[in-house]
Amino acid sequence: MQTGTKISGIAHVTLVAWAFLGGAFRSEPLPFEVQDVSVISAEEFAALSAPREAPEVIQNPAEPAQPIAPAEQTTPSEPAAEPEPVETRPEPEPVPAPEPEPAPEAVAPTPEPALPEENPSLEQPEPETVLLPEPPGKRPKPRPVERVAPEPVAAPPPDARPDPVETPPVSAEQGAETPQPEQQATAPEEATDRITPEAEPTVEVAPSRSPRPRTRPQVTQTAEAKPESKPEVEPSENPAPTPSSAVNAALAEALASASEPVAAPAPSGPPLSSGEKDALRVAVSQCWNVGSLSTEALNTTVVVSVRMNADGTPDTGSIRMIESSGGSSGAAKQAYEAARRAIIRCGTKGYNLPSEKYDHWRDIEMTFNPERMRIK
Amino acid sequence: MIRFLTSLLVGATLLAAPVHAQNQPLRITIDEGIIEPLPLAVPNFVPDGAAATEYAAQIARVVAADLTGSGLFREIPSTAYISQVTSFDAPVQFADWKAINAQALVTGSVSLSGDRLTVRFRLWDVFAGTELGSGLQFAGTTDGWRRMAHKVADAVYSRITGEGGYFDSRVVFVSESGPKDQRRKRLAIMDYDGANVQYLTDSSSIVLAPRFSPTGDRVLYTSYQGGFPRIHILDVGRVEQRVLQSQEGTMSFAPRFSPDGQTVLFSLSQGGNTDLYTMNIASGQSARLTSAPSIETAPSYSPDGSRIVFESDRSGTPQLYIMSASGGEAQRISFGQGRYGTPVWSPRGDLIAFTKQNKGRFHIGVMRTDGSEERLLTASFLDEGPTWSPNGRVIMFTRETQGADGRASLYSVDISGRNLRPVRTPDGGSDPTWSPLLE
Repeated sequence: MQTGTKISGIAHVTLVAWAFLGGAFRSEPLPFEVQDVSVISAEEFAALSAPREAPEVIQNPAEPAQPIAPAEQTTPSEPAAEPEPVETRPEPEPVPAPEPEPAPEAVAPTPEPALPEENPSLEQPEPETVLLPEPPGKRPKPRPVERVAPEPVAAPPPDARPDPVETPPVSAEQGAETPQPEQQATAPEEATDRITPEAEPTVEVAPSRSPRPRTRPQVTQTAEAKPESKPEVEPSENPAPTPSSAVNAALAEALASASEPVAAPAPSGPPLSSGEKDALRVAVSQCWNVGSLSTEALNTTVVVSVRMNADGTPDTGSIRMIESSGGSSGAAKQAYEAARRAIIRCGTKGYNLPSEKYDHWRDIEMTFNPERMRIK
Repeated sequence: MIRFLTSLLVGATLLAAPVHAQNQPLRITIDEGIIEPLPLAVPNFVPDGAAATEYAAQIARVVAADLTGSGLFREIPSTAYISQVTSFDAPVQFADWKAINAQALVTGSVSLSGDRLTVRFRLWDVFAGTELGSGLQFAGTTDGWRRMAHKVADAVYSRITGEGGYFDSRVVFVSESGPKDQRRKRLAIMDYDGANVQYLTDSSSIVLAPRFSPTGDRVLYTSYQGGFPRIHILDVGRVEQRVLQSQEGTMSFAPRFSPDGQTVLFSLSQGGNTDLYTMNIASGQSARLTSAPSIETAPSYSPDGSRIVFESDRSGTPQLYIMSASGGEAQRISFGQGRYGTPVWSPRGDLIAFTKQNKGRFHIGVMRTDGSEERLLTASFLDEGPTWSPNGRVIMFTRETQGADGRASLYSVDISGRNLRPVRTPDGGSDPTWSPLLE
């Protein structure tokens, strides 16, 4: 991780430095041109008129013999210079001329053979389309079930992966009751559904995939490799804690907790939309009952943090008041308890949150501001 | 060199950005909720022995009635229960109570030994699966079983709302009976919910405006015994009364205890002019606070005893004024249309309740101590005489119906304006005064 960061950092630094240096050279020539234009226009008239008068006056007829020596120096230099450009002009013409000519020829054949190769094999590409839908297969489960093989399907393994990662903290805080059924419920259900229908097609589809990827789908190969690598990690983590020694268990928990922050940056993809946030806000507000709060508690704003389970239900043991303002500690306690009741009560069946964005709403901070609910 | 360092910083920032993003939780703000009674379940308390069965059921019913009567709770009927509480110490089946949407659960037990009752209870946050506070136990005689139930309700109310309860309290009021032109009035005392009514005076003379002492052991009131109004003080426990010292040819009325209970603040009418006075109860020494030609009456101390709110018509119509407890210049705080009277300072000190008459209607309202944020809580043919609950959350007042057969009765309302409900009394009732929480 550190080496990768260093490499990327050095790369960024060199890129930025190169950009700055390149810009510095380009900026210098600009001011010279501007100054020349403004100054030359006034002096040229005087300079041009002066040399014309000077040679015409007297020196040329008065000194015919002496000018021989300087004439020799000047004359050879002038003719030498004249033929040189003449020679250079013809030389470059033949050199570049052949280069561009073969270039279009070489470019043209490379794309052309690639296209005809794919065209004849258009009937076979069906397995290619099967490979592509794997990432979208994560969203709707029925699609992969019909065509895709059970093992390559990427959706179930990644879903199962976050569950074991979460369970250790949940079990430590509350108890083993809630987390355990979640693990068993999510993973086995998806596996059983796909095993029976997908066992047959997998054999047929597998050979067709291996030859295709050579030309194009390098990207799809990487997409496939990720889900395959993840399930491999899962079993390694699960059996690790099972050897029940206190040291191993502690190490496993430490590794799990350490892996969580690494998994947290994973929130890849778009965050929750404003509509999805509003839906959550409305859902909680429907259970936020301030009718039994004291007038002082109605002047108290509390910020409550909650860790959500992957199924959209709040982890009741994780609900904490992290901030309060506007009232005494007693009023803050009442306001917090009302907020906690709201989160739990309306979340018993799970809040309607997009499961693919779980990393974005796993930890939520809710601010309960009763300003608009005060007695008026 | 500078460019090189700048590029380094830019590169470091680009690399660090995703690291910060990974720890950012989703943040949302919720500023709208719902205002509705909290659903709770109060199953019958578990009796410890057959002798306690009746008490166990009755105490649970009083607890439920107290909580639902506040308007902040709604009891789930026992017919909806999935499971029953058969043991006080058994673990609660939260799933069963979640299923019927009981957000709070009160469990308790009652044991009877001789005439000694012992009541234990626990309060559960069903959806959080935790106990709110710790279990409490009250002990007393069988005669006081309602008080023990009120104390349980106060504890539940306090733990959920965050403010003190008011159920274990009493109200002294003027019981009215007979037709309007021959109405008999006598002082009576009852539980805050109208139970256990006892009469403190006979109906031989008119009695008005009783006022509890800060400790709840004494009551000041105005009686026409002797032909003209004079202030009496009544010992509630012993039901003994005496007349406060007064000057001949004067009328004294509208008394109110000071927060320390040592001084009486009242109005004294002499020579057609009414002003405010104080009198030390022990020594009988009095002092004059106002000396205006207008009528100053209905005074009420602030909870800290530093200021007084009262009613005066010095501006032409009755309005509310505030001045120092030692007298001096008064500041007007009521500026709305209509006539203001009978101001009472909230035990919290943040609000002043008052009676307002405007366009032929009477209102009970509250305002800030500077006169701002005036809110009218009721409206009827005749509403008057507000008194605060011990926690400053509820106001009880007199409502009188129109016509020759009009009847005065007691009502209570939450300071939010919700939960207006009558307080049931055997006869008509007026001029309530709410005691502090009983010890």
